[in-house]
Amino acid sequence: MKKAYVAIAIMILLAPLFAWAADKVGYSEPLENAAEETGAEENQSYSGIFPDYTVPGLNPYISALITGFIGVAIIVAVFYGVKMAKND
Amino acid sequence: MHIPDGYLDWWICVAMYVISAIVIGYSIKKVRGSMDGQRIPLIGVVAAGIFAAQMLNWPIVGGTSAHFVGGALAAILLGPYAATLAMTSVLVIQCLIFGDGGITALGANIFNMAIVDVFVGYAVYKTFKKYGNIASFLAGWLGIWLAAIACGIEIGVSSTFAYKIWVTVPTMGIWHGILGIIEGIATMGVVAYINVHHPEKMEVAA
Repeated sequence: MKKAYVAIAIMILLAPLFAWAADKVGYSEPLENAAEETGAEENQSYSGIFPDYTVPGLNPYISALITGFIGVAIIVAVFYGVKMAKND
Repeated sequence: MHIPDGYLDWWICVAMYVISAIVIGYSIKKVRGSMDGQRIPLIGVVAAGIFAAQMLNWPIVGGTSAHFVGGALAAILLGPYAATLAMTSVLVIQCLIFGDGGITALGANIFNMAIVDVFVGYAVYKTFKKYGNIASFLAGWLGIWLAAIACGIEIGVSSTFAYKIWVTVPTMGIWHGILGIIEGIATMGVVAYINVHHPEKMEVAA
């Protein structure tokens, strides 16, 4: 378990670097390409608490780092919550 | 591969919510009976690891790229039912907290990445397990490929994409068929590592 958490922490620490590199190459997913080819437009009505892994007022790379740790913390907390509920 | 709001027609959103809800309900039932307290945090760690891996968009020259999805990996590590729940938790949090994937499309995103990727990956792994590491490579690759084709079909029958299913399915299928090789290699690497160092953690190996 400890090694898994270390691996997760390393991935999150790398997130800003990947965000920067993806920006450099103009990252776009095949789904976005399909939308472009057919003229489809998205219409996101709800953009979340940290829209697209950004924290308002912070640059996107620091944001990626912070939101990465927030996401991991929420997921781990949810499953520990389930475990505790089950033990009651 | 996370579908945002506005891409899918309402009926496909509803259909995907219904199918995904049924599979999730069945998965909860299957997992509940066989679950001791120790395994729940393990599912959480796998889910957290997949969330973290999904943040890393592969920087590929030319720009068209993807990130790790991990449904097949989760299925190999946890078994398909717990994997569906792990992937669903990742997708729900991405949607609600980070706006990654639309709320209306959440049923479809769960179907593609938490069900198709998981169950295809699991079936492929089981089928080829006797041939060694190639099994987890193929599981990661084919799981993501079929998930992408499912996504291509869903958007291809939607009005926003002008019903151009003959465009959407090849675009999704060809790109993710190529990019899926990376998913396969990553899946194989993690499975091989855990097989050597923590064989007791492997659901399927047991």
